[in-house]
Amino acid sequence: MTAVAAPALPKRRSLYPGWFYAPAAAVYSVLFLAPTLASLYFSLTRWTLFDATFIGFDNFAQFFREPFLVQGLVNTVIYAVVTSGLKVVVGMLLALMLTSEIIARGYLRSVIFFPVLVSTVGVGITFTVLMHPTQGMINQTLAFLGMAGPGWLVDPRLALFSVALVDVWKGVGLATVIYIAGLVAIPRDYYEAARIDGATKLQNFFYVTLPLSRPATATVITLSFIGGLRTFDLIWAMTKGGPGFASDTIASVIYKQYQAGFYGLSTAGNVVLFILIAVLVVPLTMFLNRKQGHE
Amino acid sequence: MAGLELKNIQKSYGSVEVIKGVSLSIDDGEFVVFVGPSGCGKSTLLRMIAGLEDITGGELFIGNKLCNAVEPRDRSIAMVFQSYALYPHMTVYDNVGFGLKLARTPKDVRDQKIRNAAKILKMEHLLDRKPGQLSGGQRQRVAIGRAIVRQPEVFLFDEPLSNLDAALRVDMRMEISKLHQTLSATMIYVTHDQVEAMTLADKIVVLDGGVVQQVGSPIDLYQRPTNLFVAGFIGSPKMNFVEVVVEAVNEDNIMVGSKDVARLGVPATVAGVKVGDTLTLGIRPHDLSPATNGAVVGRVSLVERLGNETIVNIELASGIPWLAVLDGDQALRVGESIALAADPAKAILFDRTGQALLAPIA
Repeated sequence: MTAVAAPALPKRRSLYPGWFYAPAAAVYSVLFLAPTLASLYFSLTRWTLFDATFIGFDNFAQFFREPFLVQGLVNTVIYAVVTSGLKVVVGMLLALMLTSEIIARGYLRSVIFFPVLVSTVGVGITFTVLMHPTQGMINQTLAFLGMAGPGWLVDPRLALFSVALVDVWKGVGLATVIYIAGLVAIPRDYYEAARIDGATKLQNFFYVTLPLSRPATATVITLSFIGGLRTFDLIWAMTKGGPGFASDTIASVIYKQYQAGFYGLSTAGNVVLFILIAVLVVPLTMFLNRKQGHE
Repeated sequence: MAGLELKNIQKSYGSVEVIKGVSLSIDDGEFVVFVGPSGCGKSTLLRMIAGLEDITGGELFIGNKLCNAVEPRDRSIAMVFQSYALYPHMTVYDNVGFGLKLARTPKDVRDQKIRNAAKILKMEHLLDRKPGQLSGGQRQRVAIGRAIVRQPEVFLFDEPLSNLDAALRVDMRMEISKLHQTLSATMIYVTHDQVEAMTLADKIVVLDGGVVQQVGSPIDLYQRPTNLFVAGFIGSPKMNFVEVVVEAVNEDNIMVGSKDVARLGVPATVAGVKVGDTLTLGIRPHDLSPATNGAVVGRVSLVERLGNETIVNIELASGIPWLAVLDGDQALRVGESIALAADPAKAILFDRTGQALLAPIA
């Protein structure tokens, strides 16, 4: 007997479930999609607040012709790499310390998280005072110890890295908390099995802790890298992009363009920033979250 | 290979004493099972042998070496964990060879040992997979492979089958038993499943409340339990108990009876037992059989017909529930009266403190 396959029924999609998406779609469209599309349009125009003239890609061409804008782009990437890299390393070390048997562990966890809660501008102003080349407490302390302190925020080679260090100080608490959550979730059996196999503490770290805390590492890198690429408030509070354009990032450049009234140019900068984040973060996230045979 | 000697081993967490002076000898090549209910201290004892828990008091010898303060890696042991503890980011090959890698075993030797272990455990085709891609039974195999590749003197198993389903558990039980025969290694195995204990062990150690209740061969524990706890814990279904009164004390047996059980002469140690004393009578469900004038009379409360045997729940006159496992298919009805004969030679009497009054072995 020959089996005859029943003809496939045409799939009928009901509109009904779509209505459940509608409110979220409306909010998303008004608050996110429309401004994004408007930005894309205005980046192709010369515009004031009242009228816009379409000029094609002139804003983008000008953006990449200006040396300080390219410098801002490079600074942004350097800043993002330095801050996210340091947050990973320091956050992991602090989390290891704060998950081990140490005195006042709970208190120290609070202390390390505290800077996350403080206003970024407040932190920026405070560190600007602390990093003053002659009057700042840091250099005065170094002088007391017989060392000449550098010009943290006035030396063009150092300014960007000084701000990055402050960013790490302020943000490492969050990275530490993410790592602590990741570390305490690693089952104790893995360490015990490694101990029986003869692993030293260092081998435990490299063979067990580090690979098994990869989800936490991926989260910390992604969050801090995006945060680094978008950074503005700390830079503005501490150096305003100076000295000269030495610590300008793309966000501070865009802000300056807005201040100067070059709305089209600065909107083009925003589009470039958007593309930069997408180009760097999407593959990075895919790489960090690649499947590892975890259950 | 090596034997073990535990001398008055104790473990306390603060003021809570969890292992209360365990002394035990384990011979070279012996398969010893620690069995007991949850919280009895069996896993803690195993972890103390492994070196994962400090020993509060007493001495632990592995081979002839005092190991109280020796690091786990230097005890020549390997352990299979309940959770398997396979590193999810490593392949099966790397998991099995991890200990050898840490011991800086040359790569070619390591490769040979890993492939040899894989061959023994029939998992050569799994070597490139990661634990997440394996079934429960396969993971169990890898965990055992990781242990055997190190060629330890003592294997430690901490409830290794408890995460498997019933059918796989039976298969893996047989494989572990075969492995013991192949390797002739000393193995210590922790379980709360007394069927696993009975089928695998050369020697069973029954623990309760951090105290060894009895040590012996499986059949010894089944036939001659030294106290009520062991009698109730070993054997499935568990032993039936009922209070009885001594009616006569003879030279080598004690005549007991109650409103649940008619006169029964049970072989026992008679010293110190007087007429009128209250004892506990224990009879295994398999030692009861239907008989018109049987000593045990009750009412059938549930019948489970398994084809080859029938499990009958009985309510005795005093309301105590008993179980009888009868041969073949018995067409009994709930509510009907039943009389069962009990083999007195297989019955055991326990005194008021719960100690068995076992007759001396002839």
